[in-house]
Amino acid sequence: MDPLFLGALVAISTIVVLFSGVSVAIGLLIVSAGFLITFDGLRSLELMPEILFSKLDSFALLSIPMFIIMGSSIASTRAGADLYEALERWLTRVPGGLVISNLGACALFAAMSGSSPATCAAIGKMGIPEMRKRGYPDGVAAGSIAAGGTLGILIPPSVTMIVYGIATETSIGRLFLAGVIPGLLLVILFMAWSLYSTWKSGNTALLSSRSYSWQERFEILPRVIPFILIILGVLYAMYGGIATPSETAAVGALLCLLIAMIIYKLWHPRLLWQVLRDSTKESVMILFIIAAAGVFSYMLSSLYITQSIAEWIGTLDVNRWVLMIAINIFLLIAGFFLPPVAVILMAAPILLPIITIAGFDPIWFAVVLTINMEIGLISPPVGLNLYVINGIAPDIPLKTILAGSLPFVACMVLAIILLCVFPSLATWLPDKMMGLAR
Amino acid sequence: MTSVSSAVESKTGNNRFLRIVAAISTLSGWISAGMILLSVFITCQMIFVRFVLNGSTVWQTEMVVYLMVTATLIGLPYVQSMRGHVNVDLIPIMCSPRLRYCLSIFTLSLSSTIVAVMVYYGYDYWHLAWSKGWTSDTIWAVRLWIPYFALPVGFSLLLLQFIADLVAVILKIDAPFGLEAN
Repeated sequence: MDPLFLGALVAISTIVVLFSGVSVAIGLLIVSAGFLITFDGLRSLELMPEILFSKLDSFALLSIPMFIIMGSSIASTRAGADLYEALERWLTRVPGGLVISNLGACALFAAMSGSSPATCAAIGKMGIPEMRKRGYPDGVAAGSIAAGGTLGILIPPSVTMIVYGIATETSIGRLFLAGVIPGLLLVILFMAWSLYSTWKSGNTALLSSRSYSWQERFEILPRVIPFILIILGVLYAMYGGIATPSETAAVGALLCLLIAMIIYKLWHPRLLWQVLRDSTKESVMILFIIAAAGVFSYMLSSLYITQSIAEWIGTLDVNRWVLMIAINIFLLIAGFFLPPVAVILMAAPILLPIITIAGFDPIWFAVVLTINMEIGLISPPVGLNLYVINGIAPDIPLKTILAGSLPFVACMVLAIILLCVFPSLATWLPDKMMGLAR
Repeated sequence: MTSVSSAVESKTGNNRFLRIVAAISTLSGWISAGMILLSVFITCQMIFVRFVLNGSTVWQTEMVVYLMVTATLIGLPYVQSMRGHVNVDLIPIMCSPRLRYCLSIFTLSLSSTIVAVMVYYGYDYWHLAWSKGWTSDTIWAVRLWIPYFALPVGFSLLLLQFIADLVAVILKIDAPFGLEAN
């Protein structure tokens, strides 16, 4: 059978199986087993446990549970609320200080936790009621937090970037650095839109905040500085060549746990179990998808599908940017239904050869892909962040949250366009700090 | 990132079988969490030995990797019982209760079948490593049947949890896909 036709058959089967409601990892195993039995015979199933085990047998993967523990221990404390308060107190003189501090807190918390929904929940719990109390439009209050939360998967350390790095065998350190400037660009775009829409709503009085004494500003710092220092320390250790991402993440996880225990009194076994339980749940879920995607990618390669698609794309006489737009639309649609990790693991083995043949930088592509996934987090039907916000502020209709998020989706699309026009926005920092990739 | 599922954790009601399976899955979650925590400590110890004591490390890297793999496999039933394995529940949500029930029985049976395949071949692979005395090609030379043991054990426990989920749906103790009726 023609490998391209077979590829189309695999794609359709995967969509049907995943949409039946079966879990992503199990779905990938079902599709892989089905095609392996059909085309390579029953004996090919013997290899499945071996491949599954070997895909997990990697020291680099250890950074995933470690960064998740780091994020969970921060997310289980009041650190998000403290961070929000600290920024509000310090940015009081900045016009529109409140919405700026919300987005700033989202960016910082995202960097600390690496999780989009956790960021939404942690900052939104304080930020949304406060913004609404002061008269900000509901759409701006909800939309800014939903969008700010998505920064969690772009700003380092990001689990999504680690997964991309492992799936495509690109440097995780380089990927983390590539997310910094686009992350800041998104923060600036989000802030600009929030200020503009607040100003447009006619209530310009909102753009000034209440004032705080210096004592109030300083008293909150000891609660947030340790976490920020750990994040900076982790990044320094990684880029200073002191340790690998997994090693620094382990130290970061231990320190975050200790600080959560000391500063936020998270010493009760029940609370500690909660942190460990959430971390285990998320780590096992991600690692199982990685392992199953490894089996899936083996099946694609063994049936010569990956290679044929790459060869076919190579023979197509299409403009590389048309190709990039098509890939972006595909990713966007996939991101509407599937979590970022699953999209990356399923798409990376097929898309990477195409990207490379078309002459795109895989590091730059990781950033574009991640922003696409961020859009999926605030778009229906799945739009996880929308539902997190709905849970925090149930009296804001989902329609208003969605309408409030749409301008931020436009900001993300603008960021993708800017990245296409100026690829160095993603590649300059890693090249500057780690030398040229090639 | 967390689950995109709209579902809640599995229900057991007063059914003894479901409660026993839930207890086993919770225990596997504890063991998995313990292994992940242990790998944090071992990695930190390794960094301390290497960078502070300027010593060399032999077993730590391999140990933490195998702990992570085992934690993943042993943790599978626990995550299933918490409905933590992400799925796309768009179609199940849109289905009528009757159709959702049938779809749930079908997906749980399909999931159980593939997991049973993994149990069978996982056991086969473990047995091969054990009978041939395979060891890892490092100085530590780990007897590979030890980490490979997590394959049949983890998937067997996951199979048990899937069967329990199936029983819970059939006996109407739990809602299909954990989605409460509209």
